[in-house]
Amino acid sequence: MSKFRLRGKGRVDASQPVVFTFDGKPYTGVKGDTVASALLSHGVHLMGRSFKYHRPRGAIAAGSEEPNALIGTRRGPGRFEPNTRATVQEIWNGLDASSQNKFPSLKFDVGAVNDAAYMLFSAGFYYKTFMWPRSFWDKVYEPFIRAAAGLGVSPTEEDPDTYASRNLHCDLLIVGAGPTGIAAAREAAGKGLSVVLVDENPEMGGTLLSEPQAHINGKAAWDWLADELAALKEAGVKLMTRTTAIGYYHQNLIGMVEKLTDHLAELPADTPRERMWRVRAKQVLLAQGALEKPLVFHGNDRPGVMLAGSAQTYLNRYGVKVGDSPMVITSHDSAWYAAFDLHDAGARVQAIVDTRASVRENLQAEARNRGIPVKLNHTVTATGGRLRVNNVRINPMDGSRVGHGQWIKCDCLLMSGGWTPSLHLFSHTKGKLTWDDDMTTFLPDQTPEDCVIAGASRGLWGLEAALEDGSAKAREVLAALGTEAEISEYTVANDRPGTGVTMRELPTDRSAGKAKAFVDYQNDVTAKDLRLAVREGMRSIEHVKRYTTNGMATDQGKMSNINGLNIAADALGKRQPEVGLTTFRPPYTPTTFGAFAGYHRGDHFEVTRKTQIDSWAEARGAVFEPVGQWRRARYFPQAGEDMDAAVTRECAATRKSVGIFDASTLGKIEVVGPDAAEFVNRMYTNPFLKLAPGKCRYGLLLGDDGFIRDDGVIARVGEDRFHVTTTTGGAARVLTMMEDYLQTEWPDLNVWLTSTTEQYSTIALNGPNAAKLLQPFVKDFALTEENFPHMSCVDVEVAGYPARLWRVSFTGEIGFEINVAAPHGRDLWEKLWEAGQPYDITPYGTETMHVLRAEKGYIIVGQDTDGTVTPHDAGMSWAVGKKKADFVGMRGLARPDLTDPNRKQLVGLISEDKSKLEEGAQIVFDPKQPIPMTMRGHVTSSYDQGTTGQPIALALVEGGHAKMGETVYIPMEDRTIAAKITGTVFLDPENTRLKI
Amino acid sequence: MSIAISSLTPSTIAETSAAKVVSLPMQGRLSLRARDGLDKLGAALGLSLPQKIGQCARADGIEAVCLGPDEWTLLLPLDQVATVTEALAALMPELPHALTDISGREVTFRIEGTRAAELLTIGCARDLSGVAPGEARRTLFDVATVVLWHDGENAFRMDVWNSFAPFIAQTLEVGCKELAAEAA
Repeated sequence: MSKFRLRGKGRVDASQPVVFTFDGKPYTGVKGDTVASALLSHGVHLMGRSFKYHRPRGAIAAGSEEPNALIGTRRGPGRFEPNTRATVQEIWNGLDASSQNKFPSLKFDVGAVNDAAYMLFSAGFYYKTFMWPRSFWDKVYEPFIRAAAGLGVSPTEEDPDTYASRNLHCDLLIVGAGPTGIAAAREAAGKGLSVVLVDENPEMGGTLLSEPQAHINGKAAWDWLADELAALKEAGVKLMTRTTAIGYYHQNLIGMVEKLTDHLAELPADTPRERMWRVRAKQVLLAQGALEKPLVFHGNDRPGVMLAGSAQTYLNRYGVKVGDSPMVITSHDSAWYAAFDLHDAGARVQAIVDTRASVRENLQAEARNRGIPVKLNHTVTATGGRLRVNNVRINPMDGSRVGHGQWIKCDCLLMSGGWTPSLHLFSHTKGKLTWDDDMTTFLPDQTPEDCVIAGASRGLWGLEAALEDGSAKAREVLAALGTEAEISEYTVANDRPGTGVTMRELPTDRSAGKAKAFVDYQNDVTAKDLRLAVREGMRSIEHVKRYTTNGMATDQGKMSNINGLNIAADALGKRQPEVGLTTFRPPYTPTTFGAFAGYHRGDHFEVTRKTQIDSWAEARGAVFEPVGQWRRARYFPQAGEDMDAAVTRECAATRKSVGIFDASTLGKIEVVGPDAAEFVNRMYTNPFLKLAPGKCRYGLLLGDDGFIRDDGVIARVGEDRFHVTTTTGGAARVLTMMEDYLQTEWPDLNVWLTSTTEQYSTIALNGPNAAKLLQPFVKDFALTEENFPHMSCVDVEVAGYPARLWRVSFTGEIGFEINVAAPHGRDLWEKLWEAGQPYDITPYGTETMHVLRAEKGYIIVGQDTDGTVTPHDAGMSWAVGKKKADFVGMRGLARPDLTDPNRKQLVGLISEDKSKLEEGAQIVFDPKQPIPMTMRGHVTSSYDQGTTGQPIALALVEGGHAKMGETVYIPMEDRTIAAKITGTVFLDPENTRLKI
Repeated sequence: MSIAISSLTPSTIAETSAAKVVSLPMQGRLSLRARDGLDKLGAALGLSLPQKIGQCARADGIEAVCLGPDEWTLLLPLDQVATVTEALAALMPELPHALTDISGREVTFRIEGTRAAELLTIGCARDLSGVAPGEARRTLFDVATVVLWHDGENAFRMDVWNSFAPFIAQTLEVGCKELAAEAA
């Protein structure tokens, strides 16, 4: 048994020893211990070094609000977590824990020189110190600040753990399983409602776990607790432990993180480390309790100084005495009970020091009975000891005067500045708070959510009050859910109700300006810093907070916010609500990235859409590129080929014989109904009313601003049926835009849209031998120029599969697109591949497709257009129906700035030195002009792997259409390239190659 | 993602003590859109088209679900697609409607087992306790729009577009194992 462990005390299992290491040294705790309670059982209070001053620190608290005792935990390779709260981390055999922010060791840390120089490091230190000289910022100041910033060390290895997520719907979610939450759950249980009770601790009970002396309705507190939890389970209430409600979002959506494996010695198979629950509750009851406030005095951060309530928790829940000779400094009744409990457990309480002049007589009597010295109307002005408190200086107070100090020896100092209702989740709901002058705290007021708040989190104190309020508030919620409940009565014996007063910094006889009286332990903010911030002009708590960083650490000011506000308000001479309270934001406690990512990590990070033919391309060694969510084969390199070589070969082979291309990712929309032609005609710039069934037409889609949004070939496959294609990335956007117009502008049209993108696998065959290759597969239909001219479509059987066969070309060659039901695409592809061998059939990817189309001057929306290009700019006035009554974008196109002849227009460019231009390169007219030059356009597409014998480019150039043959200049880093403006068609302008 | 999914080769995606997920063979699937004349359309199909979103109707090998105020999906044997298409085409132009073949568009997973409903909660935000057996819903599962059919206690079908199916299958596989481990 370790020195400070008390036999028969606490809820830990002393019969099950657990061995872990802290900074390499093995320690034995017991099952149920946290790292903090186990270390304390060995008398170890020193657990870390502070952020700014590297001051030695120990655990201040016993729960998730702990600001000081932050440790690193490791479980083999990859499993390292910094900044874990030692007060929360349960121990398991083999746990490797380490302290942080120390070098070379926790007990001797060179960074502690900052502490000696603390007068330099006051609030705003960085702002004032690192201003000048300006040139020092990049090389000296910023690297220094970055190196000094942050607690702990970021993990560098990939996290091997898995994370999960789950959705949950319930009638009532109760957050916090202390007396309030349990009483509320009991009220709601067994009424046919789905009730969830959640608590961040490994065990439910909240404050009951620290108050075994109470008797509830005649039962010992822990017996009552066990019976209640069993009854709740029996009644079907879902009880969730180690689960933290981290955020309260709109419409009663609550995010909760469940920790599943951090407490286990062996990791079970197929079990995630954490699970994010997204709970949608009809009603929420918040019962998060209250957090104890520290007192602010010189030396209030020395290891051994801790919250009185936490000492009580270590004693009663973990069976650990935090010291043999504790001393108490308080402004609230509750700390008296901690002193009594410690005395009764064998500690020699050195004194109870209370800042109040009068305290309830029965408390004083109990102290007298135990022989504990009591010092009323006293203050603490200093603590002593190097790595652990060993004496405390107390002074009597007389009005505003502070008398002579007296040192009293002790081995720990338990403090209580009262309790702050935990309003974090309530605050997430945009709930209004109201200031209570008597209690010197904010209390919950109204919330827009279906949410009530009960117990200590609304300022009530004592078990009986909490139980009764839990029950009463539950009845309110049940009424809202249409259920009634009988009134439950609670009688608590040995209850510990109490009151207190709120202090700012404790009065001192010494210089307040030199006091190291900490308000925010994690960010090392002192009372002096807060007053300095006010002196330097900060007026709102939001400014004071940012200037001093008070409350900005990972504990979100759970301990520091209210003390900071009280001090700032005092310095400003205003009431606290006039100074304001900083906003609480999710998450309530630090949360892993893994919990937010859930299943979406590694190869499951994001969906990668693949076609039915993708696996064939992969087996052929294709290199892929992402296009929207899809991945598409970019090129098919043969042995030793780089991209340029592969694309050059693919281009040549397609122009020479036949190339095969997977076009399945193109968006497809089936437009059906008596008004289908009218609808397509209104959407696209081209005329579609007279397009005959069996014919295809290119279509250009504008936004109502007149700019090009999308394009594609549209086939009229029947009198009342169109098969529209879109760009790969535009499919969803175009369908949405069409639905928008249909539902809001033209609800009178009898036409319906269906996404058929994934209905078809689409295989494109292009090249002089395309028709010859395909003909044998086509049943009873001749692929001749007469029977099936360019821009035709037909429903036929191809290789035995019903197919929509199109004669279209995006390469300038004889081209076909074969659409078959998606699952058959792979088989058809393989058949064509096999039959194409005599023709040296060549699979090509998107890069070759880009080159071949650029040689013909076909634009790619999103590459040659950027959302500011009109059909006229793109040289596609031919695509705009001159006689059309209306189409989307017609009015926009008529705007004066869109008809300006000097707009940037799409042209071809041939560089004079036959070099390949860089896509995105800027274009100027006069290369000799002074810098900055006036930029007149930019290169949109550029290739030198093509079949025209020279590099070609497309570019947007101011007034380009009127500048044919003129020379423009492209200034690069090393030289300026001259290029001649040409038309956009570089190959076969008469389209002779399209003919079969 | 290593899972290859095709409705041409049905396979078992995952099978644990919690749930079993298999992909089903390709079947006929038609999207029907219409505003009026539902009686006549139903008569041509041999069933009464349900008019409440999520409701289903079944007859003679045809299963219909109402997915929107003017939208139904019909499930039927592949060899009946042509017959049904002709029957409805005969109603045009007097009865404006749209029928589109989507048989090749998606893959169907059958999800069954003692914790099938719980498995769905890993990716579906919707409260499925509100979907009675025999009903269906179009909803989101993980990253994909799906149609979820509640066939009976602990039995569901999920229709997913082809290219999303491998990702969704992987999610379901991980979930099956996770739920099984939880019970152990």
